[in-house]
Formats: sequence, C-alpha cells, structure tokens
Amino acid sequence: MRGTKYNSVSQLAVVMAGFAVTILLLESGALLTWADRLDVGPARSGAVRVTAALHKTLQPLGVEQVRKESLDGLDRLGWTDDPARLLAAREKFALGVAGSNSPCMAAAHAPNAAVAKAVTPVVAGVPKLTPLKPLPPAAPGETRVVALVGDSMMAVGLSDVLLRQTATDKNVRIIKAFRSGTGLARPDVFDWMQEYPAMIGDEKPDAVIVAIGANDGQGFVEDGKTLAFGSDAWVKVYQQRTADFLNLLTENGAQVVWVGLPPMKARAYNDRAAEINRIAYTVVSQNPLATWWNPQPYIGDEAGGFRELETSANGKTTRIRAADGIHLSDEGAALLVPSLIDWLNPTPPPVTTAQVTPQETPVVQASRHHRGARGRTARP
Amino acid sequence: MLFPTVEFALFFLAVLLVAWSLHRWNSTHKLFLLAASYVFYGFWNWSYVPLLFGISLVSGLVAQRIQASGSPRPRKLWLALGVVICLATLGYYKYTAFFLTTVLNLWAHVGRPPKVRIPEPLLPLGVSFFVFHAISLMMDAYRGKLKQRVRLSDALLYVAFFPQLIAGPILRASNFLPQLRAPRNPKAIRVNRALLLIVAGLFKKVVISNLLATRLVEQVFAAPQTFSRGDVLLAIYGYAAQIYCDFSGYTDIAIGCAMLLGYRFPRNFNAPYTATNPQDFWRRWHISLSSWLRDYLYIPLGGSRGSAARTCVNLMITMLLGGLWHGAAWTFVIWGALHSFYLIVHRVWSGIPWTPLVRIRQTIVWRWIARILLFNAVCLGWVFFRSPSFEIAFAVLRRLAVPGAITLASVPVEMALIAGLAGQFQPLRWRKALEFELGSWPAMARGGAFAAAIFSIELLGPSGVAPFIYFRF
Repeated sequence: MRGTKYNSVSQLAVVMAGFAVTILLLESGALLTWADRLDVGPARSGAVRVTAALHKTLQPLGVEQVRKESLDGLDRLGWTDDPARLLAAREKFALGVAGSNSPCMAAAHAPNAAVAKAVTPVVAGVPKLTPLKPLPPAAPGETRVVALVGDSMMAVGLSDVLLRQTATDKNVRIIKAFRSGTGLARPDVFDWMQEYPAMIGDEKPDAVIVAIGANDGQGFVEDGKTLAFGSDAWVKVYQQRTADFLNLLTENGAQVVWVGLPPMKARAYNDRAAEINRIAYTVVSQNPLATWWNPQPYIGDEAGGFRELETSANGKTTRIRAADGIHLSDEGAALLVPSLIDWLNPTPPPVTTAQVTPQETPVVQASRHHRGARGRTARP
Repeated sequence: MLFPTVEFALFFLAVLLVAWSLHRWNSTHKLFLLAASYVFYGFWNWSYVPLLFGISLVSGLVAQRIQASGSPRPRKLWLALGVVICLATLGYYKYTAFFLTTVLNLWAHVGRPPKVRIPEPLLPLGVSFFVFHAISLMMDAYRGKLKQRVRLSDALLYVAFFPQLIAGPILRASNFLPQLRAPRNPKAIRVNRALLLIVAGLFKKVVISNLLATRLVEQVFAAPQTFSRGDVLLAIYGYAAQIYCDFSGYTDIAIGCAMLLGYRFPRNFNAPYTATNPQDFWRRWHISLSSWLRDYLYIPLGGSRGSAARTCVNLMITMLLGGLWHGAAWTFVIWGALHSFYLIVHRVWSGIPWTPLVRIRQTIVWRWIARILLFNAVCLGWVFFRSPSFEIAFAVLRRLAVPGAITLASVPVEMALIAGLAGQFQPLRWRKALEFELGSWPAMARGGAFAAAIFSIELLGPSGVAPFIYFRF
C-alpha cells in the first residue's frame, strides 16, 4: 500500500516511541552533556541522575560510537566551529594518532606553574576611576597584535566598534578570540584554557583586551560538589580560574586590559555582575602586566547605575545599551573604544614638521590622532 | 524556550502526550494547552505572563462586546477601544524610547531639548505577534467573520497558543477559533507532513542559518571596512539565505508542532526568492504578516480603489508601518520604504500596455531577468534591515566597490548558501512524494528516521543555539 496522508493517535504514539528509542540510543551521551550544562540546582541534579543512568545502560550497545565517528569525520573536514576541537582534529590527523589529547592541548590545560596559588581576599568594592596608562609606542614599522577576548560582552558591540575603528590602522592587527555564551564559571561548557590557545593559533598578541564574566553569575560543580554562586567556596574556585586565565593571557608577555562588567538593568543581575567585578579586580590588580578597567564612568549614570540613553554635547540622544539591558549597543561601545585605542597607542602616521608643535610629546600625538580621526564622544 | 533545544523537545513530548490523552474533553484539553502556553512563555520571563494574559483578556472581552452590540456605533467604539489598548501597549514597550529620542534629536536641531526621563521597559518576547493576534480577533468580530460567539477561554488560547506565540505565523481568528470548537480528530493527524516540516525547519535554522550567521554574516556586518567586494557580496547573499532559513525554519517547526497537536496553521513562506516581481514576493514572504497588513491596514486605507497616486500613498504607508513593525529603528523604516518603492515601480511598469513589452514580460528569459533583479533589490533592502545603523549599511555598500580576495568562502559556508537559496527551487511534488512515501513505512521506522534526522542536524549545526531573528520583533 502506498502511503496514507493521515494517521491515528495510536500511530503517532508508535512514531514517537520509535523516535524516543532511537534518539536515546544515538544521543545518550549528548543528553548527559546537556544535563551537565544546566544551571546548577535540583533540576540539574535530577536530569544528570536520569541521563547518567540512561547513558550507563545504553553505552555498552556501542551505538553512540556512530556519533563519535561522525563528529571526527566532520572535524576532519573542518566543519566544526570549535577552535579547540578543530585544532585537536588537525593535530590528530596530521600525526595519525588515535588519542584526542595532543601535547598542545595538554599544555593548554596546564595553569602557569610560576604563579603563586595563594588566594587573596576579594576587595569590598572596585575603584570608579581606573585610568589606563598608554602602552609604550610600538617601534616604527612594527604592527601591534591585539587579541579581543571574551564572551558576548566583547562579541556584541565592543569588538565591532574596535574592529571598525582600527580597520584602517596599519599599525594594529586584531585577532578575534571571543565567543558568546561562554565564561570562566563553566569550563565544562566552554574551557577557555583550551580554547584561547586554539583561537589565537601561532599568534603572540602584544596586547589583549578582555571583556568576560556576564554568564558567570551561576553556580557550578567542582570535584563533585555543587557550589552556589557567591559562596566562599565558589569565590575561591572562580578566583583561581580567573587567575589561571589571566596567566594564560599574559604568559607571552602580553599587556592586558580587563574591561569590567558595566552596570546592568536588572537589579539581581547587576548585583551578580558587581560580585564578578570585585573578583576580577582582585585578581587582575595583582598581575603587573594587567589592568582592570572600570567602564562605569563612561557607560553608567552619575550614581554608578544603569543608563540606557546618552545625550551627547550636541544634544543628540542615542541608545547606548542593547534592548536586553545587558550588552552594549554600538553607540555604547563607541564611548569606551577611544580610551582603549589610546591605551593601545599604535604608532601614529608620519607627520610633517609643520604639523608638530615643539610642546607635543609622541604619546600625546598618538592620543590626539585617534581622538581627531575617530571623533571622541566619551565622557571620562 | 527555544525550539531547537532539549528543553523544548521534552516540553513538547509531554504536551503532546497529555493533550491527546485529554482530546475527548475539549474544554479540559484547551485549558491544558493554555496552561502549557503560559509555561512556555514564562520560561523566558514570568513577569510578562500577566501582560500576555491581559492583552488576550481585553481582546476577548472586546470581541464579545462587539458581537453583543446590535448597532454600528457601539461596535465601532468597542473596536476602537480595544485597538487603542493593544497599540498603546505595543507602542509603550517597543516605540516609546524610539519616538522620544527622535523628537529630542529633531528638537536638538533648533535648540536645547528639555531633559526628560525616557521610560526604558524590557521588550516582552513576541509582543508584536500577540498584539497582532489580539487585533485580528477584534477586527474579525467587528467584520462579522466569526460565525459563533467568542468564548473567553478560546480567545485566551488563540492569542497565547505556544507554537505561534513568539514568532508567528500570525493566525486569523476567523480561521483558528472554529478549530477550537470541536475536539481534535484523533484519526486524522498528518504525522508525516508534520515530521517533515519539523526536520526541514530545524535543518534550516540550526544548520543553514546558524552557520551562515556565525561564519559569514556577523563577521562582515561587524566591521565591513575590513572586507572587500567578494566577502561583502557573499555576506549580503548569505544574509538573504540566513533570514529566510531562520524565519521560515521557525514557522515550519511551529506549523509542524501544531499539526501534531491536530491544529492547522497557514503557510507562511512559499519560496520567496523565486518571485518575479515585488507583489509576488510579498505573496510568498511572511505571508501571514503581509496578508494581515493588507486586510487590516492597506484595504481600510482605500487599497487600490482610489487614484493611482492614492494607491501609491496607501502602499507607502503600509510598507513604512510594516518596516517599523519589525523594529524601532530608522533602518527598518528605510527597508519598508525601499519595498514600497519597488511595489510602486512594479505597478507603473506592469501597467504599461505597450504590446511588445507585454510579450517580452511573458517570456521565460525575462522572468529570469526579473527574478535576478528582484532578488538583488531585496538584498539591498536586507542590508538596511541587518545593519545596526546607516553608517554600517553604507559602509557595507561602499565596500562593494573595493576589489579583493574572498576570504570567508569555506566549504560549509558555500554549501549552506547554496542550500538556503537553491533549496527554494525544489519542486513541491518532491515534498509531497516524500510524505506519501513515508506513509508506507511502519510507524516505528518513521520515528527512527525522524530521530536520525534530528541527530544529523545536531551534528552539522554550530555549537550553541542562536536565537531566532524574529524573536526581537
């Protein structure tokens, strides 16, 4: 009999049963991963228990191997967008080895042993004004390699405006090393210690601008224990992860600006962002190669709170935050970028003698060049 | 709750099971679907569930009042009241800041504008869609298109029904409310069609749209100055494919889910890039919105019944407001203006009665020329639609003049682009043949094949789930 157009509800039930059985066979491992990545809480615990039991039961059947082989094949074709997976696949197939942990990946995992592990007490508050001292000017003809690193706080707005405003500057080369929906709280979801080296490849950035932490206001599981956000144990682990990541960023001598989280619209979320900022500030201020920078004076209101709109000196009103009350709009990012470009201090283009007044120092020239060329609008 | 997530899969399987268990008791069945719809919406933000409930309740009560009123005047007053409440809600959440900043910026040209505190509410998910549903209910009641008296419980479910709640398709009350009258038929479920729609929708969204977005479009539109002609052109065409796959993918999943629950949703896309003229395009693109605008805005304005000039004005108003519906930004208005311009040019062009031209317009060669011209004109509109500002839009267009190597054309990007655009030319009979072929398979095997398809999509898609573009409308 050729197919029929309509089915009964009992046939629908059998179709769904067939679907459920097949998907469990094929995806029991993926379901366990999904459960693992849920926000920490009772729902996650229950989901992990159920999916782990399913996975344990179904794994011996070997059907899940299809998934692994398919993924390997796709990685080999360069289909994946995960830098660490892509790098591992390239190394694996280049070396012809079966294991998935290449020496490079193992090295990427290892925190910098030279850095002390002592945990410093977290500061009670972050300074409002955190001036950025411009980097020494690059040597003539030298290109400053700059990595833009972080989660959606970098990916949305900030990276766009930085890329646009440095696009014509031959003295700056930007490496994009950001990924939305990531952070330092959940290496089980996205492990920056592995992904960052894969993202930058063979590059050795001279400077790094980091904006990260917006997704980190959540609990996580460490050594089998669930740690609630903000608890002492959580802070200790998160602080260490931040320190390890910062050490990774600076291990080749790169100078780092760690952009703090801006004020958020929702109060509860803002409180969490403030906690993340305090921890990041505590860690960053201990590293001589890094500076924690507070964007609040540029993007917040006078009381340090959330501000959605900006009225410029010429009276033009623009929206400086995205509709979600979290991310920056392009206009908002444009308030931060001049300071960051001033900090990068790329070599200014050659100027004629007539243009230079005797009082001007090279640093000031660079600063003015960027202000003039890009139209500075930020409030200090 | 996003469609391509495990959370939604679990939610939907549970809803499917319970809904069909309750199908004999229609009132309970509908009450359950209503509760499930609020859970679905509340998963994003519970604090906006009262707003959804309030809009649904107001539209239901107004529709009842309209039906109960015998004379035209109170009917008109009730309709006006309901529409004003709905549009005021939409205006407050979506357009207040846009309107006030526009006024202040205009003011700044003539003097120092006053300091005003601009309300900044968080935009409720899908507000444009559920407000349009509410208006459709009241308008259909006013026009006498609802044959039976509106029940409040039906009105609530019509506005909040979860498959269409946050990104359409926009249902007509006159089409959907009759479906809520009788229990669903447990022997007439188009399972195969529904499964094919869900698989096609997921493939379009998870694989094609996400891949094009992350590896091509976002990169170019973030900093067009760093790319040259080849990449920019690829990104513009990529966005045309991305937005089609994103939005039609969403509505395919929505239609498929509703179909499994026993409900019929209207078709929302019909291979829009195969259109040969702007009018044809709008009969194929976001059909439920374009027909909503036609019936509730363009025709009440006078449609094409007046002079040619009046028709052009009506078209322009409709398309400008249609553009603004998509987002509170001038780039969307320009997108609407461009489409109204295309529609007007087409009206003039197709009205030229010169016989040789009429003959040429009927040839296959001309149809292909027209198709390519229209596609590129639509793509020009997408540049403004996608760009966060005019500065970026013009930077994208300027870079089209800059020669240089193509750097973003990887194999996955090329395959996604071809699938997203050329896929629209597949004959409809293929899909029908596949549906009937599936019908001859045992039910268990069909379920297995559906799972295998979902598994393949999960492997091929980029990591992470990007939200649907139309969520922000």
